[in-house]
Amino acid sequence: MSKKLLICDDDRDIVEMLEIVLDESGYEIITETDSKRVLELISNIRPQLVLMDLWMPVISGDEILKRMRKDKNISSIPVVIMSAAQDGKAVALKAGANGYIPKPFDIDRLLQRVNEFIS
Amino acid sequence: MINFKSNINIRGSLSIYDNCQVLSIYHSSDLPISGNDPANIRLLKSALDSSISGIIITDNTQFDNPIIYCNKAFEGLSGYSREEVIGRNCRFLQGNERNQQAREDIRKAVTGGDSITVELRNYRKGGELFWNELYISPIFGEAGQVTHFIGVQNDITRRKNAEENLQHEREQVELKIEKRTWELNENREYLDSIIQTIRQGLIVLDPEYKVISANDFFLKTFKVENRDTIGRSLYDLGNGQWDIKQLRVLLEQILPSNNPVLDFEVDHEFPHIGRKLMLLNAHRIEIEGSFKDRILIAIEDITEIRASENRKDDFLSVSSHELKTPLTTIKGYNQTILRLLPADINPKIPMMVNKSGKQIDRLQNIITSLLEMSRIQSGKLVLDADSIDMNILIKEMLEEAQEGNPEHILIFEGQTNHTIPADESQISQVLQNLITNAIKYSPDSRKIKLMLTEVSNYIKVSITDYGFGISQEDQKMIFDRFFRVSTIQKHFPGMGIGLYICAQIIKQHGGTLWVDSEPGKGATFSFTLPIKAKESGDE
Repeated sequence: MSKKLLICDDDRDIVEMLEIVLDESGYEIITETDSKRVLELISNIRPQLVLMDLWMPVISGDEILKRMRKDKNISSIPVVIMSAAQDGKAVALKAGANGYIPKPFDIDRLLQRVNEFIS
Repeated sequence: MINFKSNINIRGSLSIYDNCQVLSIYHSSDLPISGNDPANIRLLKSALDSSISGIIITDNTQFDNPIIYCNKAFEGLSGYSREEVIGRNCRFLQGNERNQQAREDIRKAVTGGDSITVELRNYRKGGELFWNELYISPIFGEAGQVTHFIGVQNDITRRKNAEENLQHEREQVELKIEKRTWELNENREYLDSIIQTIRQGLIVLDPEYKVISANDFFLKTFKVENRDTIGRSLYDLGNGQWDIKQLRVLLEQILPSNNPVLDFEVDHEFPHIGRKLMLLNAHRIEIEGSFKDRILIAIEDITEIRASENRKDDFLSVSSHELKTPLTTIKGYNQTILRLLPADINPKIPMMVNKSGKQIDRLQNIITSLLEMSRIQSGKLVLDADSIDMNILIKEMLEEAQEGNPEHILIFEGQTNHTIPADESQISQVLQNLITNAIKYSPDSRKIKLMLTEVSNYIKVSITDYGFGISQEDQKMIFDRFFRVSTIQKHFPGMGIGLYICAQIIKQHGGTLWVDSEPGKGATFSFTLPIKAKESGDE
């Protein structure tokens, strides 16, 4: 069974771009652009890593993260937050993120970060 | 005695009066001395002459009430000799001041046959003014008619002068008091007008926290009247808006400890005006006296200011997000294209993709700089304190710069054994800016040297290039916002905010950024960072 990586961002272009970039690295990529469905999806597929945006409509990335940390079944899944927000890092770490990648990012660095968590 | 006698002879048609006779008339009822005994008369005369009061007698039965007797003291008092006095009316003593009120009183007394005491302004023979306290008493004949008047005179000039001086002093003091009172009132009105003009609510409390006064702006801000406010406890005002436990504790410490309450924020649903954010400052009046231990409270409505600050913050973070999000996709695809290019492709293509990649990075730097500057302007340059290993950070930054600038040789020397508390992304930005500048402004020289050392409780980073250098004049200004060295402007475009941001970031971390340079020989930019975190936290 290959390792699952969940990418969650409301910007479809970014999701597609990440899908292409990460696909070549051999992970099973699952994507979601609707933040409302993310929590359920995580519970169902139990990915090895979640790569998630911060500012999303309806429910924000840090809110999803906080709820994950309260749910015993999925609380231990590592989450890396990526954001273009000024205070993104502080918000992400406060919500319990395992890593933070500021947007725009270098593809090399992103791959390096992802590998750290999945291997 | 002879002189005495000769003096009582009055000239002309007037009846002649024997002075001794008069004396006998005057004293017949009062003194146990019999009438015409010359020895007794001499005794009486001596008695009168030894009086310190001037004494005269006028004859009322004659025309114009002439003086028919004066004693020695009168001579001394008036400066006139007896010869000059006898036969004249007393008024000659008044000089030109014939309209004194006392004179009218005398006239009435003389007409009515009454005794009277008056104070007169009289003149000595030499013209010198003296105050004369004159007691006039009538003498009645056997038929009950007034025959004579006795005038007893005392020089009260000294007393009068003293009185006048006193009066004058009193008037002067009163004038001064009046003037001072006026000045105080003026001063108070002036201060009042300042207080009333101030766009801040001000109230004064007594030591029991009861309101003594409130300025107009306070009443206006809270839409209340003086009668809702004055005399009431601060905690009872409005709907108990100031009855906050924390505030009570702070206010109760003001008097004993003299600790002012500074910038206490009260977010409350106020009566009449709705939800507001109020900033409260309180101080104790320390000057000794009747105002001591009163408490001054200044209240400022910062609802709008805070909202506007928040809007600015929101704008900044939204701008940041909206500018960087599309750039994320562009950058990601650009780098992915480069990765997916087949090996046998026309070499111009990877070159073009690389060039657009460089411009994307430049755009990203500009966006970051602009946003950082806005944050510095609004004092919101938040530090995310990481523990940074500068050895690694500098090495990474240099490797990246070396990759993009193969024509330069970047050298790294020195090391530190400490990690430092700093915001990694901000320090990276500083390093990147300084390295980029060093490369940019030394196109004809190849070497760039970076030194890392420990100095006291700081680490010190120096970046040296051997390029154009910077004149002394320009060195003073290169850390200013939007400053660009004029000779460089045309050949090296830029916005002139890089060094400003670097300096601000280093300053926020508790360090210093400076430059040493000689034109034509190159420049060394150095900065320090404390090895231990600042005690006070953010500024």
